[in-house]
Amino acid sequence: MEATKNDNIISTEERVADYDVLVVGAGIAGEESALKLADMGYKVLLIEREPSIGGKMILLSKVFPTLDCAACITTPKVSETARHPNITILTLTEAESIIKEENNLFSVTLKKHPRYVAENDCTGCQECETVCPSVVKDQFQFNLVARKAVYIPFNIANPRVALIDIENCTLCGACEQKCPSNCIDFTQKEELINIKVKSVIVATGFKLFDPISIERYGYGKYKNVITSMQMERELAPTRPFNHVLRPSDGKVPDKIAYIFCAGSRDHTVGNPICSQVCCMYSTKQAQLLMGALPMADISLYYINIRAFGKGFNEFYMQAKDMGANYVKGKIGSISEKENGNLILRYEDINTGKVTEKEHDLVVLSVGLLANPEITKVFKNEKLELDALKYIKQPDLLQSPATTSIKGVFVAGTATAPMDIPDTIMSAGAAASETSGYLNQWS
Amino acid sequence: MTKKKIGVYVCHCGGNISDYVDIEKVKEAVKDEANVYLLKNTLFACSDSSQKEMVADIQANELDAIVVASCSPKLHVPTFRGVAQRAGMNPYNYVQVNIREQSSWAHSDNPIGATEKAILLVKAGIARASESEALTSSKIPAANVVAVIGAGVGGMRSAIALADMGTEVYLIEKEKNIGGHVASFGPLFTTDKLGSELSANLFAEVKKRANIKLFTNAEMIEKKGSIGNFDIQVKVDDEVLPLHVGAFVVNTGFDSYQPQQGEYGFGEQVNVITLPEFKKLIDNSTDKLIFNGKTIKKVAYIYCVGSRQDDEGDNKYCSRFCCTAAIHASVQVNKKFKNVTNLHFNRGIRTYGKQELLYEESSRNGDIYLQFNLDSIPEITQQGGKTFVKVKDILSAGKEVETDVDLVVLVTGMVPRKNDLLVKQLKIPVGRDNFFNEIHMKLRPVETVIDGVLIAGTCQSPKNILETMNSSMAAAAKINSVLTKGEMTLDPTLAKINPSQCTWCGKCAEACPFDAIVQTEFEGRMVAKINEANCKGCGMCTPVCPTDAIDLAGFTNAQIEGMIDALAE
Repeated sequence: MEATKNDNIISTEERVADYDVLVVGAGIAGEESALKLADMGYKVLLIEREPSIGGKMILLSKVFPTLDCAACITTPKVSETARHPNITILTLTEAESIIKEENNLFSVTLKKHPRYVAENDCTGCQECETVCPSVVKDQFQFNLVARKAVYIPFNIANPRVALIDIENCTLCGACEQKCPSNCIDFTQKEELINIKVKSVIVATGFKLFDPISIERYGYGKYKNVITSMQMERELAPTRPFNHVLRPSDGKVPDKIAYIFCAGSRDHTVGNPICSQVCCMYSTKQAQLLMGALPMADISLYYINIRAFGKGFNEFYMQAKDMGANYVKGKIGSISEKENGNLILRYEDINTGKVTEKEHDLVVLSVGLLANPEITKVFKNEKLELDALKYIKQPDLLQSPATTSIKGVFVAGTATAPMDIPDTIMSAGAAASETSGYLNQWS
Repeated sequence: MTKKKIGVYVCHCGGNISDYVDIEKVKEAVKDEANVYLLKNTLFACSDSSQKEMVADIQANELDAIVVASCSPKLHVPTFRGVAQRAGMNPYNYVQVNIREQSSWAHSDNPIGATEKAILLVKAGIARASESEALTSSKIPAANVVAVIGAGVGGMRSAIALADMGTEVYLIEKEKNIGGHVASFGPLFTTDKLGSELSANLFAEVKKRANIKLFTNAEMIEKKGSIGNFDIQVKVDDEVLPLHVGAFVVNTGFDSYQPQQGEYGFGEQVNVITLPEFKKLIDNSTDKLIFNGKTIKKVAYIYCVGSRQDDEGDNKYCSRFCCTAAIHASVQVNKKFKNVTNLHFNRGIRTYGKQELLYEESSRNGDIYLQFNLDSIPEITQQGGKTFVKVKDILSAGKEVETDVDLVVLVTGMVPRKNDLLVKQLKIPVGRDNFFNEIHMKLRPVETVIDGVLIAGTCQSPKNILETMNSSMAAAAKINSVLTKGEMTLDPTLAKINPSQCTWCGKCAEACPFDAIVQTEFEGRMVAKINEANCKGCGMCTPVCPTDAIDLAGFTNAQIEGMIDALAE
C-alpha cells in the first residue's frame, strides 16, 4: 500500500492502491497537477494518449503577453515531470474504463498502444526516418509538411524516441535493418493494464475547432487560408520552413488577414461561447509577424477584443502602436483569385458599409471546443458534463476542481476555455483539492 | 583549485539565439580557452534529451565543471544544477551564461555585435567556472504553518485548502468582519449563488477546522526571519501575539475604483452611481426599482470607468470582471423588475469564455448596446430635470445618439489596494499596474521573488471569483508542497566572513537587506558573522567591506576578477 500522508487515520478494511492519483492527460494542466502532488509526496501515474507529453503548449511559438518562447517555458516543466521520482508516465496510453468501487478505490483499466519501438533502447538518432519509404502528413506540424511512418513526433518531444505509425507502415523492414540499437519491434501488442488508484484528475484539455465546417471561409479549398495553429508552427523556433511562407506557392506573404472568432461565438457551428484565447494569440502572432516581416500589412478582423488578463490590454495597445490594423467587422465570405490571393467581403462597422479587401494569406483564429470523450470511460458513477459539454463543476465558485464524482477532480481546459496562466492556477487548485481528499482518506 | 576539465554547451534555443548569434563563431572563438575540455552546441539545452547527453558527457569525460550558454539564469539555473547533480558533479560547479536576453534578443538588430558579445560572455563564464568551488547546501527545519493575510473569500479558501492538506493556518483579517467585498454581494455571475451565502459557507468551513486560527481586527506589525521560519507579531485588538510561521499567502484583495468628482457627472449629479452601489440597489429593491423616490425605467451603464484609461490615467489595464458584472446586473434587473430598459455604453464587451452566454441573454432581453472610443466618451447632461446621455455610436457608423435616462451606472473596475505597511514588511514586488507581481505568469504564477511570500486573488490582478478561488487554492498547493517536508534546503551561495580580516565597522550590517549580519566575538574582539538562515546571497555586503573580509560563495572575488579579465581581454 502506498503511504498516505496522514498516518493517524487507519483504514478499517484492507485496500491496496497502486497509485495515489491517476492524472489523465499530460498537457500543461496534467503536468502541473502531477508535479504539485508529487512534490507533496504522493505517487502519481500520468497517462497521455499522444506519443509525447507536453500537450498543445509545447507546439506553440511564443506566448502572450510576455512573448517568451513557449518551448523555453514548457520544457523545464516537461523535463521535471519526466524525471520526478514520484511520477510514472505512460505515453500512447488511454483510460479504457474507470470503476469506482465500494471502498472508494478506483479500478482502472488502461490501454497502452504499441509504439513498435523499444522505448528504453531508442536513442532518438532518427536513422530510421532516413530509410522509411512511407511519407505522410505531419500532424505535429499541422500538416504543413510531411513526416515518415517511423518518426520522432517533434524535436523537443518527451520521451524523444521514435514510434511507428502502423496504419501508414508498409512493413518493409528498412527501419529495422537501419536501427543501430535494434529497438524496432514489430511484435509489440496492445496492452491492457489494470491498476487501482485512490483519486483521479481529469486534465484532458480541449479540441481545436476544425474550420472545414465553415464553408464560406474556404478552409481546405483555398490553399492560402490556414489556421492559427498552422501559423503558430510557421512562427515556432522549430518551424518547418524557417520562414513564414504561404502554402500555395511558397511566396512570402505581405498582406495577411486574421479572422477572429472562427468557430467561437457562433451558434451555426454549435459553439456559442468565446474561446478566451484567440484574440490574444492572434495579437501575439501579429506582433511576431511584424517582427519577421517588417514590410507586411497585418489586418485583424474582429467582433470584440477580449484583452482581459494581466498585461493583456497593454499588449493589445502595443500591437496597435506597432501598426497592426484592427478592423471591426465579421467576414461574410472569402473568394479566391487566380494568383491565390483572397478577397474578403465584410461589413466594416466603422463605415457601416459592405467592403471588400484583398489579402495574400488568411489566418483563421480557430477556437477551443470541449473534449468530452473521457466521460465514457467512467463506467458506474457518471462524470457529468455542463450544457457546453465541458466537465461539470457542481460547486463552481467554492470548489471549482470537484466534479460529480467524489474523488475525481478536474483541471484546466477540460472545464472551460482558458489561457495558460489560468490553466496553471486551475491545475494548482485541482492538486490542492486532491491532496485534501487524500489527506482525509480513510 | 582551478577546474581543468570544463564542458561548454552553446544553445541555439530553437532560433531564439542562433538566428542572431553565430553559434559556430562562438564555438571557434572559445575552443582554445584555458580548461575547456569539451565543447558542443545544442538545439535546446533544456530539453530532456540534451540534459541526458550532458549527464553522459560529464560522467564519460569526468568533467569537473560545466558552462551552459543559453538563456537567463532565472529560467534554467535549477535545471542545469539538476543535470550536474544527476551526473555526480557538484551543482555549484555549473555556470550559466545568458546569451539570449543579453545577446540575441537585446541586439537582434546587430548580429555581428551580438555574436561578439556572446563570445565575451561565454569566455567570462568559462573563467568563472574555472574558479568555481563545490558548495554544499544545509538543511534547516521549516514550520508547516502559513499566515494567510486577508479573510475575504479568497483568503478563506486558501486557509481551508491548506488546513485540508495538513498545514496549520493563521488567518489574519484587518477588518472586524470576514468575507471582504463578496460578503455583501447578492447574486453572483454565472451561478446566481448569493455572495453573502458563499462567504457564510466558507466561514462555516473555516470554523469547522481546528487547524485554522482566525484573527479579525488583526494586523501584522512585525516580521523577521525567512522561509520556513518567520517570526511575526500580530496585533489583535489591543493584544500582541507572537507567531511562528513558515510562509505567507497574501490575499488582500482589491479596492473598487472611486470615480473622480465630476467624472461622468459623478458627485455632481445625484443619479450617477457606481456599479457596486447599483447592485445594492437591485438587491434591496422589491417589485420596483426605486432610486431617490423615483421609479427607474431606463438605466445607462457606462463601461470601463477607471479601467483602460488613456495617457492621463494610471490604470491602463482591463479590470476583467466588470463587463460580465454589469451585464449580469442588467439581467438581474430584467428578472426582478418589469419594463426597465438597459442601455450599455461600452468599449467592446469582454464577456470571455462561458460568460458570453450572459451577454447573449441580455441581448435577448432587448438590452441595447452602444459602443464608444476613448476619444469620444459619452456626455452626461441635465436639461429640465432630466438626465441625457449622448454618444457617437461605433456600432452605427459613428452616428450621434442621445437619450434621456433615469439612472447612470458607472461600471467601475478594480484598483490595487493600498497596503504600504504590508508591502514594506514582506517586500512584495509591485508591478507597473501597482498590483502585486508574481515571479512568472506561467511557470510560477502564485510565487513572488521573496521566498515564502505567495500571492493569490485580486491583489495580483483583477479576477472574478472563480479565478480568485483557483489562484487561492493554487497558492495553497504550492506552499504546502514546500513546507510539508518539514525542512528547507538553504542555498549555499552565502556570504562568508573572514574574521581575521574583519574590523567590525558595521557597514555590512547596514547594507544587508535581510538582517543577516550579526556581531560575534573572535579572538577577543567583535567581528561580523552571517546568520545563514537569513542570508540570501544577494552580495550587498561584499562591496561595502573596506578590508575585503567578505566573500560570496559562488561569486568569489577570484571568480569575479577572472570574469573581468576575460571581458576586458
